[in-house]
Amino acid sequence: MNNILTIARHEYMVNIRRPGFIFTTLLIPALGTLALLIGSFFAGQAGAFFSNVFESESKPVGVVDHAGLFTPILPEYADEYLLYTDEDQARQAVTDDEILRLIVIPATYPAANEVEFVTTETGIAAIDIEDSGSLDRFFIAHLLRNEADPTLSERVLDPYAAQVVNPEGETEGMTGVLNIILGFVVPYVLSIFLIITIFTTSGYLLRSVAEEKSNRVIEVLLSSVSPQDLLAGKVIGLGALGLTQILVWIVAGFGLSGGVVSLLGVMIPLFARPWVFVLAVLYYLLGFILFAVLMGSVGALGSDMQESQQLGGVFTFIAAVPLMFAGLIFPNPNGLIARIFSWFPLTAPTTMMLRLPLSDVPVLDIIISIAGLLITIPFAIWLGGKLFRLGLLMYGKRPTVREIWRQLRAS
Amino acid sequence: MSQPVLEVDHLRKTYGDFVAVDDLTFRVQSGEIFGLLGPNGAGKTTTIRMIMDIFIPDAGTVSVLGATPRQARLRVGYLPEERGLYRDLKVKETLVYLAQLKGMDKDAATRSAEAWLDRVGLADWADKRVKDLSRGMQQKAQFASAVMHEPDLLILDEPFQGLDPVNVELVKTLMRELQAEGRTIVLSAHQMNLVEEMCDRILLINRGEGVLYGELAAIKRDYAPNAVRISGEEDVLTQLTRLEGVVDAEQNRDVLILRLGQTSPQAILAQIVELGLPIRSFEVESIPLNDIFVNVVSGVHPDGSEEGAEA
Repeated sequence: MNNILTIARHEYMVNIRRPGFIFTTLLIPALGTLALLIGSFFAGQAGAFFSNVFESESKPVGVVDHAGLFTPILPEYADEYLLYTDEDQARQAVTDDEILRLIVIPATYPAANEVEFVTTETGIAAIDIEDSGSLDRFFIAHLLRNEADPTLSERVLDPYAAQVVNPEGETEGMTGVLNIILGFVVPYVLSIFLIITIFTTSGYLLRSVAEEKSNRVIEVLLSSVSPQDLLAGKVIGLGALGLTQILVWIVAGFGLSGGVVSLLGVMIPLFARPWVFVLAVLYYLLGFILFAVLMGSVGALGSDMQESQQLGGVFTFIAAVPLMFAGLIFPNPNGLIARIFSWFPLTAPTTMMLRLPLSDVPVLDIIISIAGLLITIPFAIWLGGKLFRLGLLMYGKRPTVREIWRQLRAS
Repeated sequence: MSQPVLEVDHLRKTYGDFVAVDDLTFRVQSGEIFGLLGPNGAGKTTTIRMIMDIFIPDAGTVSVLGATPRQARLRVGYLPEERGLYRDLKVKETLVYLAQLKGMDKDAATRSAEAWLDRVGLADWADKRVKDLSRGMQQKAQFASAVMHEPDLLILDEPFQGLDPVNVELVKTLMRELQAEGRTIVLSAHQMNLVEEMCDRILLINRGEGVLYGELAAIKRDYAPNAVRISGEEDVLTQLTRLEGVVDAEQNRDVLILRLGQTSPQAILAQIVELGLPIRSFEVESIPLNDIFVNVVSGVHPDGSEEGAEA
């Protein structure tokens, strides 16, 4: 145990000084700072741009009413719509840019629904007219003003307001964009960050093993400690390194966004469903241990750093598969694909970290995935120790699968 | 000599179809410097790795300091043949880490590292990065790393490799000092003159098997050619080539080597005295360990005849 802690402390101290680690750890906050700076720099110009757009929108729309249905214009539309009696004068107003556009309603309306839009706008802005809900309301309001009772015309204009509840009749929290961001985007981004740290830190482990193999320090180490202790010490030390990285990112997030936004962004969704947070941490730890052990073992098998990294890439790829299927997991977080990925130990940590913020994951999946990881990890450590011993001392050539198998059975 | 420090019995290790070590048995006594010799690929390093618990033997047993290799691990120091250190770490930091893994606490490890760096002349380099050290300096730092936890048994695989003559002397002195402190050393080296100088007993391994084992002096006696070396005046020496029992003579100015048949050096000396011929020196010819090594490994017997591969 003493040895494991000594190794863990050594790995932590050595790797935290690596330029690569410092770079990636500071990169994320630096990118955040950059985004803030760019944002505040362009904020002025963007503001001007948007106010221009809205100013042009706020110009009134001219109406020439040959059918007589829109005269006079209802008071609530009087700000936006301006009635012209002289069509030529109205057309001139469009040309002079006094009004946004002109609607000419022929005498044949409403028997025929064709109306003429006169505008200097082109392309998208012109198409937009068709979809304009406010224009629909303008027409409906004037068509119904003498026909129906006020309540009915009110309902025709604004037919329903949705209240989302679950089957138990409880209201589903906040609705709208903010809720989507807080309840789903933030935990999702957090999951991605956790996954990234798993890959980077287990990558350090692979590097550290491959380095000790290439500089032969490994022989001295293995003459002092067992391969299992060496592997365990490295996993703990580099795990602590990964947590340090996350901590730096979170603290930087607080600093950058003035604390409040981060608190809202990170903490509300977590405290709203604390078990999601607990499970996410659990999957993070289990996932890290599994991948660190695997990466450490294959790191020992390659004959040089590059080859070791290629071998480790296989596991990175497997773990990243759920991210590639995110398009399928997103809309259906409890679908068959998501569930199968959750049951397979190598893809379980990533899949579960993606699924947890998205929905109520079936308890069965949580049990199977955690049980699978708990069974796989001791096996991986045992196997890793063997491969370690085998791979570390085979210089110059990579052991064949047959050799590995023979060795595993032999020892 | 007391209880053996290292007992190896019928040790065997194979890699696939290749037999690296086959039925190897030997003892290393307490306080001796034991030479583990053999050509490249003979199985020396594999044997050492089994002693160090890095490899697990296919068959046979190893007992180190009366315990299993794993139990004795912390009392053994190991300088591997193909070696290196963490290139980006500082020298002292590396030594302290390695000593901690050998069971020392941090303070003791630091004190020991400083003392040993001083002893091998690297005190000024303690806080330099390993990669800034010359090859010879790295070698000495590694030697320090192998001994700084004061092991009872020290296994040195090619400790002289890449060292200049001054540093070879330094390592020899350190080895003798360690021996004087009562530590046991297993030395694997290719420099036969150094082995002859340092070792009490040797084991020569060839193709995974022990082919020569025992007291170095006794082995040298066994392999000594039946010959004498005489120096004196050239014309006197010429007369000696006709002595009774001489089968071959080789004269180089004032030195004469006589190979003897069914007679002893004593009988030759008696003949010289009887004839009253003046000579300057007379000695029984010995054989350098190097020649024994080459002869045994290439299957040539002391009498010069070729032998089969099983030699």
